[in-house]
Amino acid sequence: MAFLIRTIDFTAAGREIVRDRTLDQTRLTVGRAAENDIHLPDLAVEQHHIGIDLTAGDTLAVRALGTLGFGLDGRVVTEATIDPQTGGEIALGAARLAVARENDGNIVITIRQVAPDEGKTDALRGFALASKLPGKRTMSWIFAVAIILLLLALPVASHLLRTPAKPDPTGKTPGAVLMDSAWSSGELSLKHHSLENNCESCHVAAFESVQDETCLSCHKDIGDHAKKPRLAKGMPPLSEGDALQWKIAEGFGKEGPLGCVACHSEHEGPVRTQAGSEAFCSDCHKDLKTRLTDTQLTAAHDFGKTHPQFRPVYFASFGAAKPVRAAAGSTPVERSGLVLPHDVHMNPRGGAARMAVSLAQYRSPLECKDCHAATADKVSFKPVEMEQACEACHSLVSGRTPGGALSKLRHGSVKNLAEDLARISTGPRPRLAPGRQRPGQLSSASPYHADFGRPVRAYIGISNALSVGGVCTECHLPTRGPTGQADLMPVNFPDRFLTSGYFSHAAHTKQKCTDCHAAETSKLASDLLMPDLKSCRTCHLGATAVKTAKIVPSDCAMCHAYHVPSGQWQGLKPAKPSMPHYKPPPEPAKKSTVAAKLAQVTP
Amino acid sequence: MASTARNRFQQQERRRDSDHVGFLQHRGYRWLWFALLLSGAAIAGYALIDQEPRPNGGTWYGYTLGTIGFGVILWLSLLGVRKRRINPGAWSLKAWTSAHVYLGLALIVIGTLHTGFQIGWNVHTLAYVLMLLVIATGIYGVIVYATLPQSLSANRKEMTRAQMLDALTALDRQLESAAQPLARAESDLVIAALGQDVFYGGALARLTGSYPGCKTAQALRGMGRATEAETRVVALLEKRREQLAQIRGALRIRALLEIWLFIHIPLTIALIAALTAHVISVFYYW
Repeated sequence: MAFLIRTIDFTAAGREIVRDRTLDQTRLTVGRAAENDIHLPDLAVEQHHIGIDLTAGDTLAVRALGTLGFGLDGRVVTEATIDPQTGGEIALGAARLAVARENDGNIVITIRQVAPDEGKTDALRGFALASKLPGKRTMSWIFAVAIILLLLALPVASHLLRTPAKPDPTGKTPGAVLMDSAWSSGELSLKHHSLENNCESCHVAAFESVQDETCLSCHKDIGDHAKKPRLAKGMPPLSEGDALQWKIAEGFGKEGPLGCVACHSEHEGPVRTQAGSEAFCSDCHKDLKTRLTDTQLTAAHDFGKTHPQFRPVYFASFGAAKPVRAAAGSTPVERSGLVLPHDVHMNPRGGAARMAVSLAQYRSPLECKDCHAATADKVSFKPVEMEQACEACHSLVSGRTPGGALSKLRHGSVKNLAEDLARISTGPRPRLAPGRQRPGQLSSASPYHADFGRPVRAYIGISNALSVGGVCTECHLPTRGPTGQADLMPVNFPDRFLTSGYFSHAAHTKQKCTDCHAAETSKLASDLLMPDLKSCRTCHLGATAVKTAKIVPSDCAMCHAYHVPSGQWQGLKPAKPSMPHYKPPPEPAKKSTVAAKLAQVTP
Repeated sequence: MASTARNRFQQQERRRDSDHVGFLQHRGYRWLWFALLLSGAAIAGYALIDQEPRPNGGTWYGYTLGTIGFGVILWLSLLGVRKRRINPGAWSLKAWTSAHVYLGLALIVIGTLHTGFQIGWNVHTLAYVLMLLVIATGIYGVIVYATLPQSLSANRKEMTRAQMLDALTALDRQLESAAQPLARAESDLVIAALGQDVFYGGALARLTGSYPGCKTAQALRGMGRATEAETRVVALLEKRREQLAQIRGALRIRALLEIWLFIHIPLTIALIAALTAHVISVFYYW
């Protein structure tokens, strides 16, 4: 067993010089001193640095002779064992001693010098993740520029350069601003959903909040809750946070807490705009008088606890031009001009009921709906029409037409009535005896006829009809016209009785009419059969009430709207207060059938 | 004199103590308490202050939270500036980092309450989501900084990075001479293994520690064990594989330590851009 020491050097020109020598011994020393077996002239190497011993197990035991260790396969150690079969590399200064076994069994130690590794620091950079990823700075720039360009610069630029799109509630006009949908903080409410693609229809100018003027360009019919100065005066003071926000916001052109958008906040999702809560109303109305001292409105904040008594609108005197509102808590005496005892009609065993049973039209005692028909919205009732509601019993039949049909007096106008009564005396009448004719008389087929009598009977007729006990006064009150002639009181009813609230009869179909309207016991037409607060409160309590089978928690918005008088009810302004409800029916159309002609000519 | 000495002693004790206290525990969790207080106050305000018609970024409370959040985000992003300015004083980098972490966590509460829980596909939610991602990567960063350096140290086995590379070079030199007797096909395997960059593999390979294209592993699979030379090469290749595994272990831990910053920083800048767009757009379409 011998060590083959192979030294590899390089000439200045780079040519490799290989020198081999064989040391036939089992121990080698390596160091800077010349007496070492392997002499390494390198200041980094100790005089006697390491010893290499061939052990019995055919391995090499390498040991540092001083305190300084040596490199073995890149690791610094002071003692190591090398299996020559696998080999190893000892590093001493700039020298590398590669140990390996030759095929002949000898152990070769190849010594070569390595150049100082100049690229090592660069190589160490490979450990950092940065070597494998795009730089943070690059990525930052890319993200930031993409976001600013796409989500800010593009919408702003297209907004500044656009031709403004018109607001179009049908939603057919898209907005002209690009990418501004990315600015939308949420979907619009259901009613505004068609404007989803046209932001400019509301957001007209840059950095300007949505203006009332813009809202009103579509919502032309909206009514003010009250005039703005009064609203401002009636409002409770804002909280400090709100006050500060509004102060700042108004400084930037927002329209203050009374502007549309203060309440109607948009982009809250595709929902219906919620009505204001009870607190929204009661904030002002619970103590309105403390701020708005001249208001006639009494305090209200919870329907079950604090709510003024209803004040229905009614006609307080016969033929009045305008209805009045009842004083709170008073018992109104209505002067409608009609004579109508409800109890007589409602009594299931009374004469009216008996008569109704006998009539094919009813076949049962009268019910409310026989006379009163609800309007389509089920809020109010249509005017009662004499022809439909009353005439089955209160007949105006005056005789028979020549054709045999029943003729009747026209209802609705005294003038028409007078004409009809006069016609009774002048119209063609049935001949006394058939087929007999004096010579020289005109043919019976001729339409000619004459009544040469005085018209006094007609005057008597109309006078009788209009005076007490006459046919008209069954329902109407007699009076005298401007010239003293007999006349009837005009019939006056307001369109609605409770004008400040909304009441749906459709929502109350489980109730009987008489649960709320005391018609069964009302003896006089002057009774105003409007229910009072107490009767409503049997079911309806304030919003905070606990819902049960009977109790309905009711907030203000159940009956009241904010933007009156734009809603269904018209405040205190009935459309035509002085006009009677009943219009004369239209003139019967001229009959043109053959049968009608024959009826006309037959005396 | 005595008092001066005691003062100096106390001063030095304090400094020594503070030198060994991590940024999370800085000053008895001062910034944790501050952040908890801030979040608690924000939650209490949100619960107690009635916002009509509903909580929203556009109420006065929403604007307040938004302004606080915006300010905090800008300040937090200045940590990158602060850490490049070496200056002593009470306002130390450690205090700054401590505040950075805890105030960043408080932003989850402040930002979420500012949204009023209204989320959509828009620039506003983009800013919110970016903020959450930045915070999430930050949380990850704190966790890995607390846990991974130990394993990094354990993986090194008292070797520096340079020594690991040296070891590989030493193995490579031995491999080259040991492979001299090999046939063509085997030689090519060794050439491929030696030719492959030690840092071969992308960021994903580093994070997962999975290198399916490793030529050393391929050479080991392809190498026969028939001759003595082949056995020797196989032994050396195995050593090389082990050395590579150590290096790759270091790379993996280091990648796990560093990856969050590659998201944290660019997303922070993206967040500031989105915040700018958010604030301007809100008032542009007021």
